[in-house]
Amino acid sequence: MTVIESTSQVSAPQTDLPARTAASPGRLALRQFTKSPSGVAGACMLILIILVAVAGPSLYPVDPLDLVGAPFMPPDADAWFGTDYLGRDVLAGLIHGGRATLAVGAVAALITIVIGLVIGAVGGFFGGAIDATMVKITEFFQILPPLLFAMVLVTLFGPKLTTITLAIGGVSWTSVARLTRAEFMRLRDLDFVKASRAAGASNVNLILRVLLPNALPAVIVSATLAIGVAILFEGGLSFLGLGDPNVMSWGLMLGQNRNYILDAWWAVMFPGAAIFLAVLAISLVGDGLNDAINPRLRRRS
Amino acid sequence: MAFATHLARQIINAVALLIAVLVLNFCLIHLAPGDPVQVIAGEMGGASAEVVAALRAKYGLDQSLLQQLSIYLANVAVGDFGYSYYFNQPVLGLILQRLPATLYLTLCALSAALAIGTLLGVVSARRPNGAFSHAVTVVSLAGYAAPIFWTGLMLLLLFGSVWPILPVVGMTDVVNPKHGFAYALDVGRHLVLPSLTLALVFIAQYSRLARVNMIEALSADYVRTARAKGLPEWLVVGKHALRNTLIPIVTVAGHQFGNLFAGAVLVETVFSWPGMGRLVFDSILRRDYPTLMAVLFFSALMVMTANILTDVVYRLVDPRIRTGRR
Repeated sequence: MTVIESTSQVSAPQTDLPARTAASPGRLALRQFTKSPSGVAGACMLILIILVAVAGPSLYPVDPLDLVGAPFMPPDADAWFGTDYLGRDVLAGLIHGGRATLAVGAVAALITIVIGLVIGAVGGFFGGAIDATMVKITEFFQILPPLLFAMVLVTLFGPKLTTITLAIGGVSWTSVARLTRAEFMRLRDLDFVKASRAAGASNVNLILRVLLPNALPAVIVSATLAIGVAILFEGGLSFLGLGDPNVMSWGLMLGQNRNYILDAWWAVMFPGAAIFLAVLAISLVGDGLNDAINPRLRRRS
Repeated sequence: MAFATHLARQIINAVALLIAVLVLNFCLIHLAPGDPVQVIAGEMGGASAEVVAALRAKYGLDQSLLQQLSIYLANVAVGDFGYSYYFNQPVLGLILQRLPATLYLTLCALSAALAIGTLLGVVSARRPNGAFSHAVTVVSLAGYAAPIFWTGLMLLLLFGSVWPILPVVGMTDVVNPKHGFAYALDVGRHLVLPSLTLALVFIAQYSRLARVNMIEALSADYVRTARAKGLPEWLVVGKHALRNTLIPIVTVAGHQFGNLFAGAVLVETVFSWPGMGRLVFDSILRRDYPTLMAVLFFSALMVMTANILTDVVYRLVDPRIRTGRR
């Protein structure tokens, strides 16, 4: 079912050419993706950032919470990125902090997607009163500004990394839910779904095995962008003093150093630039994926 | 007539959702770790057992949860959102006092973003593969990815120490207070950097949206007809195509009021703008729950109002919807 025949051989078959191998949609999308220079650039940037966050700490084993020198030391040969208001190494913060920031972003995005998929799929599949309930729940979460709601949650339940991740993941799933619902409603009456239903597939089977794989392309792009949004949220929360003080992250560096920006611009500029580059890379990848996966929309932008 | 019914239905729906927000607030406060009375006692600098018991009775905390909920709802219905011990005044007054500053900031940023974003998008749509169009795409990507508080801090650094031509702190000049027209001018000068920072994110989104919709509009039949009629190009683009480009932008802008408000919280914190954002920041720092919950409620109220207004405007602008479906 997931195999699409190559349609380029409309002319008379040429027997001397080797038969084209049928490519899976995933492979086709990947081939399309590699044709977008900005998408590839974003992917390279993202891989580099992840590599630094994963391997960096062992290559640069300075504890980001250790006081390594005098406070407010400008960037020089000893500390390439200077020291912050307590005398902690900014470079170590950038390298180690990337781990927490990216982890929070990825896990929170995963939570966002799972909640969005479940609410959207259940509503779109069953319709009727169940759908109406799911729509009401979505509507309810839509009127609460996500970042503000996350702030309230973290304030009430304490600034720990798990609370922060759960709060970010729990507030911004509404667009994924709406998208999934629309896809499920579009798909559920198509012939192949009816055929699976006639063949005796259970509702769970229909949702997970038949509809979900077909709805995913529409959701994948917003899932990618959700990681970027979650990283920005983590930054915003930490900036307001709602970061986990025991775990170094880019947002925490910004939040703790912002009052000393006139004394040590480097301790604020670099972590912010790191967030900026990470989110930029993710949105470039998202754009590239959008063009590769949703060819219908390609011509429009 | 149909429009009035629709509006009435929307308002009823909005009121129901707002009551749900209040119930959520109530549940969150009760789920949060820590005894609210102990928190209040802590804010008061410690209290004896009798005072704690009196507080418990005063807030109805010795009653069942359902009774407490109805007390809370009844209080809110008459405008009592509780008392802020940190600011030492009723929460409602606190919020009403800060609301105007936040509205200046958000509305100013919103208009700037709509004007600049649409202009950039429309101009770049005229030559989708030109250098200007690519520049706008890059700017819009950068504007989306840059954390708003970081952009604000960088502007603060630039205008605070490198090139001090604009004020970076507060809403008015506290050293030399102005009056009359000079006062308005002073507030306007203070408003430039915060609203520009807030607008940047939305300029990025609207220019993108305007570009896509304008490209589509320019290839539509009615534009070809308008050109064939011999209308000047500025009228074709500026009137016929622009109208259809604006509809989706206005809709998106209206539905993003929540994000605009949340952005204002961060921007106000950076530039010490004395609005609700500052209030949120202070109440987070002081664990001032009543204020925080009331702000959440008021933000939902504002989002709701913005949604309904958007819907009304949308119906007025687009006659297909006004006369079409109910």
